[in-house]
Amino acid sequence: MSVVALLEQHALDPQLELAELAEAAHGDGAIVTFVGLARPESKQGNAVDALVLDHHPALTRQSLQDIAVACAERFDVSHVRVVHRCGTVPAGEPIVFAGAASLHRRSAFDAVNYLMDRLKTEAVFWKREVGDTGSAWVEPTEADFADRDRWG
Amino acid sequence: MEMELRIRFYGRLADAIAPEIELATGGCSISDLRSRIASDFPAAEAMLDRSRACVGDCMAGDEQQVGDADVVEFLPPVSGG
Repeated sequence: MSVVALLEQHALDPQLELAELAEAAHGDGAIVTFVGLARPESKQGNAVDALVLDHHPALTRQSLQDIAVACAERFDVSHVRVVHRCGTVPAGEPIVFAGAASLHRRSAFDAVNYLMDRLKTEAVFWKREVGDTGSAWVEPTEADFADRDRWG
Repeated sequence: MEMELRIRFYGRLADAIAPEIELATGGCSISDLRSRIASDFPAAEAMLDRSRACVGDCMAGDEQQVGDADVVEFLPPVSGG
């Protein structure tokens, strides 16, 4: 069993993260991963050049770790890996990698689903979209909270 | 030089006030501090009301006393990842 939760200040390489997870998952039968990208357009339809993620020096990393550990305890998975960007993420670049490995596929699918639903609402970031029209703070939507709440 | 309480803000609060300010309080509660900041920065009052206070990386209730050697942080609701 391993749980890895990292806050990445520079570029996030999903291939590298998958390789790390695959190395740890030797002997498992399933790896499921999710890669989130910074969207080039806001919900209001404005062009977005970059997402800027402010973070807390201690609590942000702790929130990633807490969510990853809760995931590992809840699902029948052998490895959980979460890597999240902070700082300025240009549109189109990876912002989050969430992965899990397990003996059989269902647990890994559920684990990654759970990771993302909690990260989207509880990870300690203050996020704003920056584009030609200025800068706009982003908060979780009602749908994001509903997704999180279905896990009880 | 007299020591002043350092107060850090994140997210919208950092935008509305500053990432960090210093105040000489002589000791007060978090609740008192909220009132003082709201009075100095009225545009930030509504967001301050929705924000959690944090001292030494632990959440702090409004009744908690802080001194001028402390660092108090105010965390608005998070955006998530």
